[in-house]
Amino acid sequence: MIALANVTKNFGSRRAVDDLTLTVPRGEIFGLLGHNGAGKSTAIGMMLGQVWPTSGAVKVCGHDVTTQRTRALEKVGAIFEAPAFYDYLSGWRNLEILSHYTAPTPKERIREVVDWVGLTGREKSKVKTYSHGMRARLALAQALLPRPDLLILDEPGSGLDPEGIAEMRQTIVRLHRELGLTILLSSHLLGEVEQLCSRIAVLNQGRKVFEGSLEETKRRNQWVRLRVNDFPLAAKVLTEARLISNQRDGHHVALVEGVDTDAVVRKLVEQGVGVFEVVREAETLESFYLSLMNQNRAEKK
Amino acid sequence: MFRLHLRNELWKLFGKKRTYIGFGAFLAAQTLMLLAFKFTRWQSDFERMLSGNGYLASEFISALTVSVVMLIPQILLLMPLYASLVGGDLVAKEYEDGTLRMILSRPISRVRLLFVKWIAGIIFAAALVIVLGVTALGFASLLFPWKGMFVFVPGQAFSVLSAGDGFARFVLAHVFLAVNASTILSIAFMFSCFNMKPAAATIVALSYLFVNIVMEAIPFFDRFDNWFITHHFRCWLLVFQNPVPWARILQSEVILVAICATAFVIGSTSFQVRDIKS
Repeated sequence: MIALANVTKNFGSRRAVDDLTLTVPRGEIFGLLGHNGAGKSTAIGMMLGQVWPTSGAVKVCGHDVTTQRTRALEKVGAIFEAPAFYDYLSGWRNLEILSHYTAPTPKERIREVVDWVGLTGREKSKVKTYSHGMRARLALAQALLPRPDLLILDEPGSGLDPEGIAEMRQTIVRLHRELGLTILLSSHLLGEVEQLCSRIAVLNQGRKVFEGSLEETKRRNQWVRLRVNDFPLAAKVLTEARLISNQRDGHHVALVEGVDTDAVVRKLVEQGVGVFEVVREAETLESFYLSLMNQNRAEKK
Repeated sequence: MFRLHLRNELWKLFGKKRTYIGFGAFLAAQTLMLLAFKFTRWQSDFERMLSGNGYLASEFISALTVSVVMLIPQILLLMPLYASLVGGDLVAKEYEDGTLRMILSRPISRVRLLFVKWIAGIIFAAALVIVLGVTALGFASLLFPWKGMFVFVPGQAFSVLSAGDGFARFVLAHVFLAVNASTILSIAFMFSCFNMKPAAATIVALSYLFVNIVMEAIPFFDRFDNWFITHHFRCWLLVFQNPVPWARILQSEVILVAICATAFVIGSTSFQVRDIKS
């Protein structure tokens, strides 16, 4: 559905996206992660033909965005971090205006979408009277009006309260299940991404540092909580014995693939390290993300 | 689709309160000027000038004459201000508000988007001039009779016309004034397409106009007057001359239309290569 091939974007002398290759398959909920300024919004801007790539190719729905932008975006809906509307016009008028840029949209279709997002009764009010949550619903409505196959969500949960975030999560699940949409979700809310996405890509300073399924993230680091009398010594011993690949926060070590906790305990006891507790922990997306960032930082040093 | 897109732009443009500032200012200015003409020495000075040239003042102090008297300062001061205010907003304000990013996630080409915006702007400019003319004549008709027309602008026009002929030329003058307003709007629109704030686009467009006025006033530049936009702006006054210098008017109009088209091409080219980011 989306294919970026060796895409680079420079803003003056600053490289915002560096040789990014990314594939979002049809039917997936795909998470795009990264810190502020990692290049997520620039990548999304290039997918929507708002930002021109310095080099590389961007294809959406099989069409090159640079040369066939209108064809590429025919079946695409997008929602941004802070959805902007014509506040002095009604929600209905905003939907008419925005949808007509894709194709003439019958009133019945607008009514259907307004109903779907739960704005019925307020659609004729001016947008300046809408709450943050209602604006988010209006943003969703405008994205759904052209009956998209692909929905691009750039930080959709930003600024929402916990209830709003939960509602957004349920909506994304509904969109995927009921309408069969492919969804690209860029977010800082790792918990949300973990609950929603089947695949993710992680960007760091414009470069892709990981792309794979959520399962892969869980397999990649087998974190073990280790309570010992001397953690730095334990970490040194285990690293030298090639039993761990990573460590963090003075309590956790990541086991090398194929290594189990018995080998860790045996090695520590042999070296005279007092072991009080060894607990295998399920890898969360947050711990995976943090270790990936730490690893990258260490590699850069 | 073009009709739909244009309707979109007109909804946006005429849905904003600030679009009506110009219309409101014209109404206020006209009311003040009309009262000033009627109740100060302005009218008697005007009558003296007519009598001094051998005309019967009572025959020419009419709604048409007063309308043109009221038009001139508004055309010089207010019209460029409001045309450039709206022109400067057309693209830059949407960029600033973030709505441009919403639009550009849709399958519409940038050139098409700009074209409908520009056309909507030109419709606004024409509407501004029509309202200006209609209200000037309407207000003047309330206090002055429908008689012959006298037009005097030092160095530009001195004409005495019958009511019918005067009205026809008054209408024609507004066609050319609409071209003037569209030209100023197009220049502001061009700056609006660049990476600048809406206020900056308006100010730069007005500055361009003022530079033209100042340079044209310098005697050294007399031989280059064709290069100044303000020289061509004054062709609306030429319709009141006898005989009407059509060749000169046509030349100016062609130049103004060419400036409009050039401003659009430069603006859209600049906009086409821009990155639209949040």
